[in-house]
Amino acid sequence: MTDINQRLQKLKAEGKTVIGCFPLYPPLELFFAMDLVPVVLWGLRGEVGSTLQSDKHLQSYTCSVARHLTEFVLTKGLDLLDGVFMYNACDTLRNLPEILETGLSQGNARLPLIKIHIPMVRPDQTDASGYFKNEIRRLIRALEAEFNVSFSGDKFVDAAEKINRVRQLMALAEQKVAEGSLSFLSFCQIIHECGFSSIDEQTRILESLVAQQTDPPLSGNGQRPGVILSGILPPPASVINDMESAGLRVVGNDIASLGRTYAGAPAVIEDPEAYLLDFYHHHYPCPTLLYTGDRRAALLMEMAQKTRARGVIFVGEKFCEYEYFEFPYLKKRLNQMGVKTLELEISVEEDAHTAGHRSRIEAFAEMLATTS
Amino acid sequence: MAAFEKTESGKRLSRYMADAYLNLHTRAQQGAFVVWIAINVPAELFLGFDNVVYGVPESHAAMNAGKGLGVVQCEKAERLGYSMDLCSYARIDIGCVADGGKDSPSFGLPRPDLLVSNNNNCSLLVKWFDVHHREMGVPHFIIDVPFCYEPQQQKDRAYIVSQFKDLIKTIETMSGQRFDMDKARQAVAHTSEGVAHWKRFLGFAKNRPSGITAFDSFVQMAPFLIARGTESFAAHYRLLADETGQRVAEGRFPVPSEKYRLFWDNIAPWHQLRDMSAGLEALGANIVGATYTSCIGSIEGSFDIYPYDGGDPLEFCARTQNCYICPHGLGLRSRAMRQAVESLQIDGIVFASNRSCKPYSITQLDQQRLMQDAFGVPAVMVEVDHADARKYSREATFTRIEALLEAIDARRAA
Repeated sequence: MTDINQRLQKLKAEGKTVIGCFPLYPPLELFFAMDLVPVVLWGLRGEVGSTLQSDKHLQSYTCSVARHLTEFVLTKGLDLLDGVFMYNACDTLRNLPEILETGLSQGNARLPLIKIHIPMVRPDQTDASGYFKNEIRRLIRALEAEFNVSFSGDKFVDAAEKINRVRQLMALAEQKVAEGSLSFLSFCQIIHECGFSSIDEQTRILESLVAQQTDPPLSGNGQRPGVILSGILPPPASVINDMESAGLRVVGNDIASLGRTYAGAPAVIEDPEAYLLDFYHHHYPCPTLLYTGDRRAALLMEMAQKTRARGVIFVGEKFCEYEYFEFPYLKKRLNQMGVKTLELEISVEEDAHTAGHRSRIEAFAEMLATTS
Repeated sequence: MAAFEKTESGKRLSRYMADAYLNLHTRAQQGAFVVWIAINVPAELFLGFDNVVYGVPESHAAMNAGKGLGVVQCEKAERLGYSMDLCSYARIDIGCVADGGKDSPSFGLPRPDLLVSNNNNCSLLVKWFDVHHREMGVPHFIIDVPFCYEPQQQKDRAYIVSQFKDLIKTIETMSGQRFDMDKARQAVAHTSEGVAHWKRFLGFAKNRPSGITAFDSFVQMAPFLIARGTESFAAHYRLLADETGQRVAEGRFPVPSEKYRLFWDNIAPWHQLRDMSAGLEALGANIVGATYTSCIGSIEGSFDIYPYDGGDPLEFCARTQNCYICPHGLGLRSRAMRQAVESLQIDGIVFASNRSCKPYSITQLDQQRLMQDAFGVPAVMVEVDHADARKYSREATFTRIEALLEAIDARRAA
């Protein structure tokens, strides 16, 4: 997947200021409105190849997301990024800013690193809107000071409308997967590439995708058991291929870097503080947004009902406690409504377990086919 | 084995803990409002109410592990589908609750009316309490504490205080009881007094040989976790510090032949305290201090006491929310550790890489380098799990510790 590196090089060659962001839901609109290009540093397994530098800083029981992210920033960050932005998420990621700074400083290098805190209280418990808005104001000031850019309401409206259009297009592309006219693997690759492109480029790629018949519809698509995938990342290509070979059809996804990012779009207004407050408060549930926990099971069940999925495959990212704490409850609730579940575990050494995954996926597909 | 001689404060601790859990169950049965909290939720706030009691699942899990019951309880959670990679405290607690408190030395904790978690020590604690929230149908109040990369900022403190106020309102509404700020103020004062004695107790580690081992301090942490804010809390730590001072004055030391003074970084391996303590003593080594116990009663970036001045108790509690190691970053952690290494004349550092506590462990590889660069102090990384004995290898741990002692010898000889 050198395409991502090429895309970033192209952005840099065009004179764009590229900000690497983590975790998954940074205020993209704000960055675009300030003539910055945000790229979400998530799922970079294919971009780094190894974790040699990261392993000097992170133990082997750290999730692959953090290890690949660290490797990427330490080995390519200085060439491909102009700065890094992060907000609070899990216990691992919150320690990364200082680890990245330490790692870069060993080569006497530095990348501007900007941090904000997104309130994690339940909105019905504590009104954190004042705190949140102040954080957004701090972010704007920090971006202006660090990158010599300025904020304007008009540009923000424009960026927010474009981002919402991108989200809609991604949802339309997802429908093509469910219909069988786009493979889930192609879909994942395109969404991933979009995340490393300018907003106009993203729109162009996605409009072209939804306008054309990308892949021929698979024969008997309607008869193939529909499944929903859930997890912090989509499964690796080999596992997706195994699913499709086993006759499974992805009819929906609750993947953090896919469906959860484009499932919602706030009403566009000029005030970035109010807009982003709405964005985070009503965000599609994700374990990384602690206050959304209560909504997740109901939405996943609703998705299963709406898509008539026969099964849900939980794609566990090894050592991601956030996801793993929720699997038993989600599985219980889905099983109660007659939806079968399968839990896979993906680790840094993903290729080591391919055969095991394949056997389990095939068995799951057979079970779904015979219990319809 | 001088280390295992039961002191008066040790005997008192056993009674104190038994009484505390008995009292918790009794009061719950008599109708007290029961809250389950994360360890660093300010328990003093609950003493502002007439009849609110609290249980601490983390502390209860540590007790299970210390009594050799960690694996039994973990396996119960694993059978329910909880991954072995999850925090062993959480697995012990979830397993224990699912089995109605069976196998627990305290018969578990009484059923809660409210769950209060926070994300300062670890965010996964919120997910863990969410499990109970869903399974038991009990409301869950989340306290959000911004992580500190620098000393805590006023904007963050005000945000934390606003949440404490909401927590008080929530309990008032749910329990029908009124909160009394003066009672909370008194509770904070008791805690502060007890913490001053705690710091005095830890200070005997400066003696050569040390008047304490870190293992003593690990065990004696228990009242801090389950009895803060009470007069008896302050009295217990007064006895502990006085008795330790007396023993030092009499020349009675836990490791009389102390040759190596070590410092420990991470949560205690509860299932190994006695074995590890004895094994080290046999080598002439004493772990005289630990980040885990030194941070109590301080603020981020220092192990010095942060005294209570009698002012707004909510403000004080908010100011001390980041004092534990996990809610602050590498720079602040290193600053405090440097002070400890100097003041305790540490020969070597044992970084315990703890699979069950990523927030504590994730920065350790860098911190190890920083400490070695700053002081040239030899350091070693050992693999532990604070409550799951299946993830611990005595042989591997002691091989590394022996290598550390050799490195200290080599440094002395150079």
